[in-house]
Amino acid sequence: MTIVIETQDLVKKYGDLFAVDRLTFDVKKGTVASLLGPNGAGKTTTVEILEGLRRPSDGRATVLGYDVTSEYGKIRKQVGVLPQDFEPFDRLTPTEAVAYWGRLFNRAVTKEDVRKLLADVSLSERAKVQGIHLSGGEKRKLGIAMSLVGEPELLFLDEPTTGLDPKARRDLWGLVHRVQKEGRTVVLTTHYLDEAEQLADDVGIMHHGKLVARGKPQDLVATHGAATTIILGGAGPAGLHEVTRRGIRAVLDHDDVLVRVSDPSEMRIVLAKLSSIEIDLKDMYTKRGTLEDVFLGLVGAKMEEGVLQE
Amino acid sequence: MNRILADLMAFGRQYLRSRIGAFFVFIFPILLILLFGAIFSQTGSSSVTVPVQDLDNSLMSRGFLSALNNTTVVKMSMISPTVDLQSYIKDNSLSVALLIPSGFQRQVLESMQANGTSQVNVTLYGDPSKSTLGQVEGVMEAVAEQMNFKLVGASRIINVDVRPVASSQYTYMDYFLPGIVGMTIMTSAMYSMTSICGEYRTRRYFKLLATTTLSKAEWLVSKILFYSLILIVSLVVTVGVGIAVWGVHITIDGMVIAFIVVGALLFTSLGMLFGTIVKDPESGVALANAIGFPMMFLSGSFWPVESMPSYLQTVAKVLPLTYVNEGLRDAMIFGNVESALVNLGVVAVLAALCFVVAAKLVSWKER
Repeated sequence: MTIVIETQDLVKKYGDLFAVDRLTFDVKKGTVASLLGPNGAGKTTTVEILEGLRRPSDGRATVLGYDVTSEYGKIRKQVGVLPQDFEPFDRLTPTEAVAYWGRLFNRAVTKEDVRKLLADVSLSERAKVQGIHLSGGEKRKLGIAMSLVGEPELLFLDEPTTGLDPKARRDLWGLVHRVQKEGRTVVLTTHYLDEAEQLADDVGIMHHGKLVARGKPQDLVATHGAATTIILGGAGPAGLHEVTRRGIRAVLDHDDVLVRVSDPSEMRIVLAKLSSIEIDLKDMYTKRGTLEDVFLGLVGAKMEEGVLQE
Repeated sequence: MNRILADLMAFGRQYLRSRIGAFFVFIFPILLILLFGAIFSQTGSSSVTVPVQDLDNSLMSRGFLSALNNTTVVKMSMISPTVDLQSYIKDNSLSVALLIPSGFQRQVLESMQANGTSQVNVTLYGDPSKSTLGQVEGVMEAVAEQMNFKLVGASRIINVDVRPVASSQYTYMDYFLPGIVGMTIMTSAMYSMTSICGEYRTRRYFKLLATTTLSKAEWLVSKILFYSLILIVSLVVTVGVGIAVWGVHITIDGMVIAFIVVGALLFTSLGMLFGTIVKDPESGVALANAIGFPMMFLSGSFWPVESMPSYLQTVAKVLPLTYVNEGLRDAMIFGNVESALVNLGVVAVLAALCFVVAAKLVSWKER
């Protein structure tokens, strides 16, 4: 499969701080690659280097076969970008902004093209409203439409669903899948774990500028997270004491006791042991491992309302 | 070219919808024309009212006052002969007042009989800090001199014939209007661009534009085209108001349009150059004001550079707006093509230099 992005020991330093620390990875054509990590992990700095917006301090990066520092002009029209800090032009309507942006990519954008793009991002009803009057989520949708208007071969979406409501998020996920089906490549940065799990073929987990893990979401869970967790609801410290006394490794999470089972073949043994213990429980259930577990294990990040926190 | 036109259209829409930009291009110069016109266009016929206490009330004193009134420069208003004039001046905060003493006619006749060996005085009270005193004093001396000639049967031999430099039909407003056009080119293009660069940096528009195929030079060209177009419209509107309200007599030809285009190129590039050091729109406005205001006053927008002290004239020579203003006056009033071309050349060279440096120095990318 063709490589669209390739980095080799990529470094970005600000004084003594390594925002990106010897990053080496690649992205294959037609895939959705996601850089995942808490705020300050180096995701945006990395994609801005790949977008030709920042110069790396060291190392090498190529996009669509061209060097990002010396040859970016050659690939500009093949790349669409939604920056993390996107703001629309205050006095242009979404219709005008999308048409304008298309012409900056040398595309003869018709009214029908613009109408379809705005419909794709659920912004049709606000098509004639000036940017200054759009809500945060609507501005984000406009940014996505603008990033797509040049029909890019490679699309960078930096935190695309921040500020969007659940329906708009799912609509965008559908849009990303459609873009991928057309054979285009998407690089996505996010701190929403469910977004990465839903969209990405390839997830890179970044922490303090380094790539600490990489792979398909399910492989990452299998390799770095707990495959399954048995939850003893309301067992409390007494329950934890009883469980650990029987040689079962467990942790207390609020008033629940969590027993992580990495190897599926051990599940029956562990359940048998647990059923022999007399513990007061509210309920007992199992939960399959997720990327959240991977984060807990790899970088100590926590989730708050679905968002990774340092 | 397609990208430049696209950016021109999008920028134009935003600029005109914001209304602030439109105010400075269309409304502000008109306000200045109306305001300055109201102040200066009546200079030749305005009169100063002079309170007069005529203690003589004779044929001679009334004749003297009538001669003063006929000048149309001063207008007499009579004060009762019973009041104390000095107290009256103080109580009414008068800047000027005239006293014709009792026995004025008799003293004049006596002096004539004595072949002018004695003089007769009228007293002009006045505040030396006010310009009206000098104006009234000059008129009175001229009228008194004319009366002296009549009384002794003499006539003036040497006369001063004053002629304006430009064609005799030109007024102060004709001279003033090209300065307003020059000032509008500077304020519209330079102020706006400096502020826009600050805004584009703060709101990350530069970064956004850097992800497209639009180059910095193309972006700058679209701004220059836009300012050229709206400044030509502004020129037509401003001159139209000048003609309709003040009856100005000026020429608009290809040379004037060339000054608008090259001036827009110069001040747009200069604004972008200043924009390289501003971080937000507020600091952009402050920097543009710090540079623009002194330039506006020192470059002959409102008065001739020659009327300023010599050291300020030296400063004016290094200010680009001076050459725009002088060139516009050459083209619009004097019809001096040769001088206009020299000024246009200076502005064009400066503009080209600023354009190249601005396009090179401005960075859209993050560090």
